[in-house]
Amino acid sequence: MSLLELRDLAVRHGDTALVDVADISVKSGQALTIVGESGSGKSLLAHAVMGTITTGLAVEGTMSLDGVHYDLADRANRKHHWGRELALLPQEPALALDPTMRVRDQVAEGAPGFRSRRKAALRRAEDTLGRLNLGHAARAWPHTLSGGMAQRVAYAAATIGGARVLIVDEPTKGLDRDSLDQLADLLTEHVATGGLLITITHDLHLARKLGGELLVMRDAIIVERGPADRVLTTPEHDYTRRLVAAEPSRWQYEWLASPLADATADPAAEPLVAAEKLAKSYGDTELFRDISLEIRPGERWALAGPSGVGKTTLGNLLLRLGAPDEGTVRHHNAVAGGRLQKLYQDPALSFPARVRLTDAMRDIVRRHGVPPGRVESLMATLGLPESLLHRLPGQVSGGELQRLAIVRAMLLEPALVFADEATSRLDLLTQERTMDCLMSELTRTGCALLLVTHDRELATAVADHHLRLDQAVHPVAVP
Amino acid sequence: MLVVIAAFAIIGPLILPDPAAQDLGRYLEAPSASEPLGRDDYGRSVLARLAHATRLSLVFAALCVGTALVLGTSAGIASAWFGGWADAALRGISEVFVALPALLVVLLFAALAADGSLWTLYIGLALVQWVEYFRVVRARSSLVLGSPAVEAASLLRLGPVHVLRRHLWPELRPLVTTLAALGMVTCILAVSTLGFIKVGLRPPRAELGLMVTEGFPFYDVAPWMSVAPVAVLFLITACFLGLRRSEVTT
Amino acid sequence: MSGTQRQLVAAVLLRRAGQAVGVALVVSVLCFAVVRQLPGDAAYRIAAGRYGDDLVDADSAAAVRAELGLDRSAWQQLGDWLVDLLRLDFGRSLVTSRPVVAEVGYYLLGTLQLTAVALGLAIVIGGLAGVLAARCPGGWLDHMTTAWVALVRALPPFLLGLLLILVLSVHLGLLPAVGHGSSSSLVLPALTLAVGLSGLIARVTRDTVVEITRSEHVRFARTKGLTERLVLARHALRNAGVVLVPYLGVQAAILIEGVVVVESLFAWQGLGHALVHAVFWRDVPVLQATALVLALLVVAINTVVDLAVLGLDPRPRKREVLA
Repeated sequence: MSLLELRDLAVRHGDTALVDVADISVKSGQALTIVGESGSGKSLLAHAVMGTITTGLAVEGTMSLDGVHYDLADRANRKHHWGRELALLPQEPALALDPTMRVRDQVAEGAPGFRSRRKAALRRAEDTLGRLNLGHAARAWPHTLSGGMAQRVAYAAATIGGARVLIVDEPTKGLDRDSLDQLADLLTEHVATGGLLITITHDLHLARKLGGELLVMRDAIIVERGPADRVLTTPEHDYTRRLVAAEPSRWQYEWLASPLADATADPAAEPLVAAEKLAKSYGDTELFRDISLEIRPGERWALAGPSGVGKTTLGNLLLRLGAPDEGTVRHHNAVAGGRLQKLYQDPALSFPARVRLTDAMRDIVRRHGVPPGRVESLMATLGLPESLLHRLPGQVSGGELQRLAIVRAMLLEPALVFADEATSRLDLLTQERTMDCLMSELTRTGCALLLVTHDRELATAVADHHLRLDQAVHPVAVP
Repeated sequence: MLVVIAAFAIIGPLILPDPAAQDLGRYLEAPSASEPLGRDDYGRSVLARLAHATRLSLVFAALCVGTALVLGTSAGIASAWFGGWADAALRGISEVFVALPALLVVLLFAALAADGSLWTLYIGLALVQWVEYFRVVRARSSLVLGSPAVEAASLLRLGPVHVLRRHLWPELRPLVTTLAALGMVTCILAVSTLGFIKVGLRPPRAELGLMVTEGFPFYDVAPWMSVAPVAVLFLITACFLGLRRSEVTT
Repeated sequence: MSGTQRQLVAAVLLRRAGQAVGVALVVSVLCFAVVRQLPGDAAYRIAAGRYGDDLVDADSAAAVRAELGLDRSAWQQLGDWLVDLLRLDFGRSLVTSRPVVAEVGYYLLGTLQLTAVALGLAIVIGGLAGVLAARCPGGWLDHMTTAWVALVRALPPFLLGLLLILVLSVHLGLLPAVGHGSSSSLVLPALTLAVGLSGLIARVTRDTVVEITRSEHVRFARTKGLTERLVLARHALRNAGVVLVPYLGVQAAILIEGVVVVESLFAWQGLGHALVHAVFWRDVPVLQATALVLALLVVAINTVVDLAVLGLDPRPRKREVLA
């Protein structure tokens, strides 16, 4: 039975406390998960424990592992434990793997005795990869792996040294649900075999799967702690309550998709966009074929599926931003002249980067003769202060900028808006707010929606018409 | 600093005596109050010659850089915008010029100009330099034109002028100014290098590189003859390189 | 070597071959233009260079003009010119009357000696300085390299050469300033080239190494429990190579420019020296051959660089390597 304890852990930048935590203990056989939004300090906590925190920050506190004490202010005293006792699974596995080295060698170099018995280490790496169903990828280069595979390779490389303490830092970035579940199984197995696990995440679904102890962090402190199922079902702190309620499956809004008949759409209306037998390949891989669909005024469509199956590509084809290999896309006159708009995953990239937002907006107002005051009134409706307009896109937060993008799209009174993973980079609470803004505007104007997302719950909450793209080429249309 | 040099180059030739006026009686005269940089082996005023040489270098380099900039930038934007065969053709041509050392082409053009005329040198240098602008502008433009921001602009039906003014130009301007600062240096050094190896402009024209060569034999007795043009060359290059650094950091 | 890799190598070779052909065309058409431009007195001058000033008369000048075929149509001449080039028939030097191929071979050897020594020196000096500067960004060595790079960048090779002559040869009397053949006469020109190049190499090495030691994958390698030396040897160096080797290719053109200047400055018997003389004397066959060989040298260096990068970096090219 091992035990890891942290006491009076604090991370400071000048006078600002970024992490301020009195005590945390992790027992073997029980997962510890820390949830919170970006900026809450949860990742810093992980790096403070590991000793990999940036040198500009001051760290205080002690860590004890099986009775041995370490001063956290000294970053180097745990270095000899790296890989053997303490391991870190980094945020973006695709970046954490050396692009110029084959997978097997990268895994093997973490194995004990790698320098003296290289052959044995390589064999061990192959065994480990085989157990993770990656035997076929042992000789592959990292750039050929999918996000989920890269995550598992990184897991193999981090744990091959036999470390008991595994720290996992935001493992969900860019992973689809299936890969995430596979990772959760691996982490659960680590705990079951007596390991100590600290997981940092903003994903409540992962926290629920891992179970064990849950800490909720906000603004450097822990606001709530307790068994994961208890905290996630009956939260006590106000912030936790809001956080849990921000999950799409728990939303309560008028605009939510109803399981009953679709009220807004008129089945007899002429379709805005009609696609027939679309097919598209990317290099040698076929993304999809034989896709036909019709989007009528006011309908809400969701294209869901894991990453890399061509959801965005299909959406772009429907907007005629790309040409299909086969098939046709027809547009109704009602969407001509800019009445088809798109929201992007990264709103910062969808505005001209070096131009103030006022200028970008003024170009649209002038070009299309938008009535004066329309920008301001829309911004007020969406809760955006007018002063935002004097900034550059890079100086506005992601959530606010996405709402500005909604304002921009609404200026042209569109008949169809294509939201391409428009909220997937946002925190839960921000996502809720942004979706509320978008859906309220769409409902008010009777505009149709095409939503691309890898989040099934979001799709269920928002859309009446679903199209699932899977690895299998044939799509499953759900009326 | 650059302003001082430019002022020297503009005003100097107007107020200083004729740089070609020889006065063999004042052969290798040392610097004095009336003649701050002394006189050379033909008794010509080194200061006056320096002013003329600096003006020549600056004006000439600005001409070359301007031409190369306009040509290269418009070709680069066109290549990224239209794609297809125009892009392929322009890229093919640029590939060839990239592999050609600039000095080599300029040397060949110098050979064309039997009398060391400025025009051939100008064409040679501009021809060598446009490729840099073309490649950099093309690479950045195709990134910008493929970005979500431009896609959004086209969905908003904002038209090509908006794309040029709000998307392309703000992104390209810092790159192009940096390249232009470097290009000025390359031009000035190329001309003086040609002068130095005696295949560029011919004496008795006052040119910085030529002045270094002419002064070098007299280094022992009249160091001012070679030190002055070297100092000016060094200052000009340092200024333009400094200009580039401040562009990059802001 | 796998099939796809063979394809990639073939693609590189094809692209570079196309470049080489284009370069050859441009150089020889330019040379042809030089011939067309030759004014009458240039024929006299060539004749003077060949036969001596006293023996020049209208006949010998006319002979030179006939040799250049100035009386035929331009297109016909250009065609003949290119056919000669295809047959690798460069003709004879107009000045020495020796076959150009033999002369160029001799000069090429000199240039290769010089560039090899200079490049080696530059990589050793620049690489070492860069790696050391990268160990503590912001340290005194780092500032030294920055200042060094700025200084070298503002000094054209001919000034740098003059400076070295003054310091090492005139004042200290350590080395001969001008000459060819002995190993000591190689030192100054090679040093001049190396000093210029090493500044740039040091800068890029420093930036690359700093960037790579901060990269996610090197940090992950450390937390896997690898020692610093193992991290450097297995991860940092190869990834630095991926950036640095293409950079050397970009430098090839600058190196060749430097060679031309430095060879003329130090009277080192190489292609650059020969080229400048050929320009001065309007010796078109030698001019064409030397310019051609120098330009092809750049293409050759870049081909080697491309192949090296293919070996180092398995990722598909996102954008084409510069130059």
